[in-house]
Amino acid sequence: MAHISIRNLTVEFKVYGSNARSLKKQLLSQATGGRIASNANDAVTVKALDNVSLEINHGDRIGLTGHNGAGKTTLLRTLAGIYKPTGGTIAIEGSVGALLDPASGMDAEATGVENIYLRGFILGMTRSEIDSKVDEIARFTELGKFLELPVKTYSAGMFSRLGFAISTAIQPDILLVDEGIGAGDASFRENVIARTQEFVSKANIAIFASHDHAFLQDMGASLISLEHGNIVEDLRT
Amino acid sequence: MFSRKQSGTTTIISADRVRAMASMDLWTGLLRYELWWIFAAHDIKQRFRRSTLGPIWLTLTMGIMVGALGFVFSQLFKQDMTEFLPYLAVGIIFWGLLTSTISEGCTAFIVGESYIRNVPMPISVHFYRVFARNIIIWAHNMVIYLLVIIVFPPHFSWHMLLFLPGFLLFLINLAWMGLVVGILSTRFRDIPQVVTNLLQVVFFVTPIFWSATILPDRTAFIQFNIFYHLLELVRSPLLGHIPPLQSWAIGITMALAGFPLAIWLYRRAYARIPYWV
Repeated sequence: MAHISIRNLTVEFKVYGSNARSLKKQLLSQATGGRIASNANDAVTVKALDNVSLEINHGDRIGLTGHNGAGKTTLLRTLAGIYKPTGGTIAIEGSVGALLDPASGMDAEATGVENIYLRGFILGMTRSEIDSKVDEIARFTELGKFLELPVKTYSAGMFSRLGFAISTAIQPDILLVDEGIGAGDASFRENVIARTQEFVSKANIAIFASHDHAFLQDMGASLISLEHGNIVEDLRT
Repeated sequence: MFSRKQSGTTTIISADRVRAMASMDLWTGLLRYELWWIFAAHDIKQRFRRSTLGPIWLTLTMGIMVGALGFVFSQLFKQDMTEFLPYLAVGIIFWGLLTSTISEGCTAFIVGESYIRNVPMPISVHFYRVFARNIIIWAHNMVIYLLVIIVFPPHFSWHMLLFLPGFLLFLINLAWMGLVVGILSTRFRDIPQVVTNLLQVVFFVTPIFWSATILPDRTAFIQFNIFYHLLELVRSPLLGHIPPLQSWAIGITMALAGFPLAIWLYRRAYARIPYWV
């Protein structure tokens, strides 16, 4: 059974101005006994998530909503293990698959097939898993012979088709999606909706961060709203 | 915390386990060898895409450099090619491995930014990728060594087997140095420049294209030059000599001191790397 238990999760990080990044400023601040230190360390601490507690159960479909900077993406990144909590605990049962950036792992110089492997590895698949799925992915993209060409020769629509087809080939227990899955051109729309729904239905838990309410509705997601790193509304029934 | 986990296992991510997670990250990253090896090979492939000779250029470039330097310096220092060329070839090949691993180590995490921020996989994978890429390049360069010793055979002996422990020690030291500069550079963006300049200076004070024997007394900058000793650990055996005891002692001490340092630093910095990149 997939399950996520979040207790008192706090995520804080320092954002450095360009000043503190420089070694010179650091050294100077040491040498001058703190007078410059106050402006050399112009780091601002951001509390992206503030004492969040949440239970997510098997079968849940959750849409995280909220303004920009409300903490949606931070929550997904923390669940994916990318950001580390500065307070609190998360217990996750089940494998986690994250689609946070539709293009990561894609290389414009490499061919379509090579990209299926590269992005496949990035998404956590093994070579044999990709081997068994590559035909199905290729067929879905309808790119045919183009898959042998470098991706930089693709139109934007072709590129997003390819990325979408690979992304939706993974089968995690827990699926984290930031800002949709990257749909592709209009003629492709119906295929995309069908495939997305099938893809999401295979996951035991799915969490989306999106402003696109129509998309969230299509996915059957219940909304949880965040504001300033806090949960302000939980519409699950 | 990783994208691949058997269902039924529970992953605990908590604020007080972050340091333990950092150590785990180094280990699980190592176990994802399929991933970083493929990426390293892809880097090389990408560099030579559409060139006819491909990665053979690596070997060829090294060959031309060794040939040209060998010719010029053997004339300049009036040295015998039979001895000088193998010495030079090994020196340049291993110096190349050392410097490129360290200087590319500086940017290992910085260039992996989009992965580190968006893909759930061990951060250390990016470091292993740099390491693997440089090992692949080194292997291509070693062809030149083989060619040189066929033409100018050194004194073959069992001492050459000392290359294996020597190379292992060399790599261990390279690994911790690469990781340390990688972490520091991600936080302080001046470090890559500092490192590049340091390596440049060290290149001139280290006997690579000149021999330590031409100096009457072993000067301090050789005696206390850790890079010289690291180089000796691999160069001497490959030329059929035994590396000096002092070099082993320094190599082992550095590894024993540096490895814990690198791991300590990684545990400290681990949680912040995604924000720094």
